[in-house]
Amino acid sequence: MAEAYIFDAVRTPLGRGGSEGALYEVKPIGLLLAVLEAIPRRCAIGPGDVEDLIIGCNAPVDGQGHDIARAALLYAGWGGATAGVQINRYDASGLEAAILAAMKVRSGWAQLVLAGGMESMSRAPGGSDGGPLTYDPEVMARAGYMAPGVAADLLATLEGFGREALDQYACQSQQRASHARDSGYFSRSIIPIYDQNGLLILGEDEQLRPDTTPEGLAQLPPAYEALGRQGYEEIALQQFPVLERIHYRHTTGNSSNPADGAALVLVGSREKGEALGLKARARIRAAATLSCGMALIQTGAVPAARKALQLAGMQPEDIGLWECQEPFAAVALHFQRELAAAEGAFNVNGGAIALGHPVGASGAILLGALLDEMERRDVAAGMAAVGASGGMGAAMVIERI
Amino acid sequence: MIRYKKDTDHIVTLTLDMSGRSINLINHEIAEAFIPVIEHLKREKSRGLLRGVIITSAKKSFLAGGELEYLYQAREPEEIFRFAEKLKGILRDLERPGIPVVAALNGAALGAGFELALACHYRIALSGPRAWLGFPEVQYGLIPGSGGIVRLMWLMGVEKAWPILSSGRRYTPQEALQAGLVDELADTQREMLDKARSWLLRNREGRRPWDRSGGAIPGGTAREHGVAAVIRQLATRLASRTHNNFPALQAILNILAEGSRVDFDTASRIESRYYTGLLCSQASKNMIKAFWFDYNFIKEGGNRPKGFGKFRPRRVGIIGAGRMGSGIALACLNHGLSVVLKDVSKPIADRGREYVRQRLEEWAAEGRKTETEREDMLNRIQTTESSRDFEECDLVIEAVFENRMVKQKVMREAEEFMDDYALFASNTVSIPITKLAEGSLRPENFVGLHFFPPAEEVPLVEIVRGARTSDETVARAFDFVRAIRKTPIVVKDDWGFFAARVQNTYILEGITMLQEGYPPALIENLGRQAGMPFGALALADSLGLNMVLRYENQAAEHYGAKYVQHPAVGVLKAMLEELQRPGQQKRAGFYDYEAGGASRLWPGLAEHFPVSVEDFDRQELENRFLFAQVLEAVWCMQEKVIHSVAAANLGSIHGWGFPAFKGGVIQFMHDFGPEAFIRQCKDYESKFGQRFRAPRILPGLLGLK
Repeated sequence: MAEAYIFDAVRTPLGRGGSEGALYEVKPIGLLLAVLEAIPRRCAIGPGDVEDLIIGCNAPVDGQGHDIARAALLYAGWGGATAGVQINRYDASGLEAAILAAMKVRSGWAQLVLAGGMESMSRAPGGSDGGPLTYDPEVMARAGYMAPGVAADLLATLEGFGREALDQYACQSQQRASHARDSGYFSRSIIPIYDQNGLLILGEDEQLRPDTTPEGLAQLPPAYEALGRQGYEEIALQQFPVLERIHYRHTTGNSSNPADGAALVLVGSREKGEALGLKARARIRAAATLSCGMALIQTGAVPAARKALQLAGMQPEDIGLWECQEPFAAVALHFQRELAAAEGAFNVNGGAIALGHPVGASGAILLGALLDEMERRDVAAGMAAVGASGGMGAAMVIERI
Repeated sequence: MIRYKKDTDHIVTLTLDMSGRSINLINHEIAEAFIPVIEHLKREKSRGLLRGVIITSAKKSFLAGGELEYLYQAREPEEIFRFAEKLKGILRDLERPGIPVVAALNGAALGAGFELALACHYRIALSGPRAWLGFPEVQYGLIPGSGGIVRLMWLMGVEKAWPILSSGRRYTPQEALQAGLVDELADTQREMLDKARSWLLRNREGRRPWDRSGGAIPGGTAREHGVAAVIRQLATRLASRTHNNFPALQAILNILAEGSRVDFDTASRIESRYYTGLLCSQASKNMIKAFWFDYNFIKEGGNRPKGFGKFRPRRVGIIGAGRMGSGIALACLNHGLSVVLKDVSKPIADRGREYVRQRLEEWAAEGRKTETEREDMLNRIQTTESSRDFEECDLVIEAVFENRMVKQKVMREAEEFMDDYALFASNTVSIPITKLAEGSLRPENFVGLHFFPPAEEVPLVEIVRGARTSDETVARAFDFVRAIRKTPIVVKDDWGFFAARVQNTYILEGITMLQEGYPPALIENLGRQAGMPFGALALADSLGLNMVLRYENQAAEHYGAKYVQHPAVGVLKAMLEELQRPGQQKRAGFYDYEAGGASRLWPGLAEHFPVSVEDFDRQELENRFLFAQVLEAVWCMQEKVIHSVAAANLGSIHGWGFPAFKGGVIQFMHDFGPEAFIRQCKDYESKFGQRFRAPRILPGLLGLK
């Protein structure tokens, strides 16, 4: 069977989600355009070389509605050459796009595919696409819909993660991300956003808080208690009746914030890469998507990662570097514990708690960050894993050539 | 059936007057009668001979809802759906652009009756104390099925329609006007018809918002973010409150969410489909059985001794201004009675009045009482320290400390001043009425009236007949309980009577699970998820573990050599004696109680009753909770503690909150399936012991051989 390789990965800087964010003024398609236009520049390939563009987007409405991938291609002048499709696996969309690209390449039905994701949460906040799972009362009742923040607190309660442990994790995420930015680890892949006059709008990630301290985090009030009291706690207890109550331990400080951004990964076959003179940076060894049920919706990365390891014929010890999406501190801590990921090799440059979480793009950002850091550390094999709303997860094992 | 009269202004008055009935209601008969009338109206209109239509009624009420006898029997989805659509078609014909129609609501219009009113272009209600308007369907596990949900949504928007539809609340005309359910009020029949006529003369065409181009649902549809967010919040609250046990409430929300996204007629059809499903559901059959058939049996005096004229109490004396006495006072005031509230000193009696005042303020804040009603009620309560003030009372109820001597003392003091004919009632749960009556001057006038805290809210009252209580006294006690709109059940003067005795088995079952090694939170959560209002351990704490044990000791005494000790007794004794945790009053029971009222399970439980069960069978545990109560209720019937299925069913729901969607303790077995229930009892008996043995009368009670 053909193998799938990663040739390049890029992303925009991540803006603060909301009207105070620097990228709020940029229309959603503009974010995608920036990364799309960077690819030919960096890889010396033309639009005609890429067969398909797969874009994950979590709220595909309004400015990022319809098939935003196709719209961006036409907008960029690639329309005659490349097809485009928008997909949605919530938080795992960006990684799912890369998985689908790899599948296309491994099946031999495509040779070179761009995959990634985008989200302007400033312009299209989470939930603005409606959808029965979160807005149809009959579907919600039958599906046992659970609000993500409350689910994270449920997870922390069940797993016994105390407030201190969560805050400490968040603080570490901030410190690691700031250190990585200051050391230039991110700059290799970041495509700054300019206006039509070539004036810079945003060049670096906007939300980092290098001055975060555990003491400061400890001051923040629980963010999801009101939501839980509205009814989600009782719904959770229907599924976990051995619990007396949920302890509300996640705050805005140890959860990820909304963000704006886009990311792409260039995936193709060895032959195509050679023909175009592209250097393969990593091989996609295995990937998996699995479900974990609704109540603990973000824990899906765990079974997905286990399956990916199994497909790769690997053990957790074989993984030299882990990138796990951190929408909430408990989710990352739970994954780390379940997969026995070594502390010094787990989310080493921080994550979404520090950078922000542009839902549709995050999975692709994670994969790019893994690749960059594997090269910097000279690590052979790495894992990217994302839990997704609705109770799913996606994971990918890559190895350097 | 429908009287037709046309006046010189070409205004037709249709007067509903179903023959052979004291009320009008919606059934196949009236539906058929409407069809030719509407056809005729259309012809008149096309010939220019019709200006408008007034619909009113010749009965005291306007139009009651659907015929519950029919609804209870209906089982065929296709037939139900077709009939619902047919009724809708008639109402739609009535409101379609053209002839303006006014509903002149001369009296109560409930359920489908109010749906007819909503299908008119204008509603005028005649003011009156019993002219209830609204949608009580949810009480029967049903929903409006003749377009009521969709019309209300179109008239006032999703957010405002929801509480009106989901609460089942009945509105007075004044409240209905404020809520936007009617357009105008009238003080007399004549004024109502004049207003209707004058509206018709001013409005040549009737056209509903949904028949207007550009017409929109106020506040928007579920497509819009604001409304969608409201629906989502309601859905969450609903799921957490009902544990998905009340499909009617869920259906209303579903119809609002789905119906707001489509046109009126499509929404209306969606409504019919949900309606059909609910009508076929066992939950609605159970609720119709309990709240219609059983309730009517009770209300019409099924267990009231016959042959005595109706007692109309006006003035009630209450001894003891604690929570119970004050609660009873409030219940009396709330239904027009006057109250004399006595305690050992006037300042202490005044505390009871203060409690009443505070509760009324809360009710006012919830919109349950107006300023005038509040003042009026407070003016009807008199506080005193002297029994002399009982002279004018028709009935005196003592609600003092649970001690035989004290109770007999206050009774004798009161009886001295009371009229020979007046009743004396004791609110006790643990002292036999026959014993108390020994100290009475008029033991035949002495009866037990067992209220449940909070007495102003809990609808059940047990009437306890002592050995010397006369039939007439029981009948009068019954009439008093009805006068304050509560549910009376007549019970034998035996330990725990009915409610407390049966409820105690729920508590004991929960405590038994603790002893078996189940996690305490699991016991509490599954109890509530089974439909009980409180966890068994929380309930034990609130009653006091002493009380729980005391009932069980009384059972032991009662059954003598035949008694088999309940496995919960060991835990109760350990909690009371070794661990000194008697319950909520001492802020230490199965829970710890913080000063703010918050409580959490006592962490010490883990040490003394260690969790040893990892896996659990949810269904089995929920069944045990409910089966224990059901079987105890059957024992009560066998021992003639209670005398009718209706009293047992309604008593269980109104007394301690046995799940209404199961229709009460006896209906539960029909819901479960009679044979399956008996089989399951045998299984549980072999697994858990004799307490799950089926009483002798059970097969007969269920109509089995």
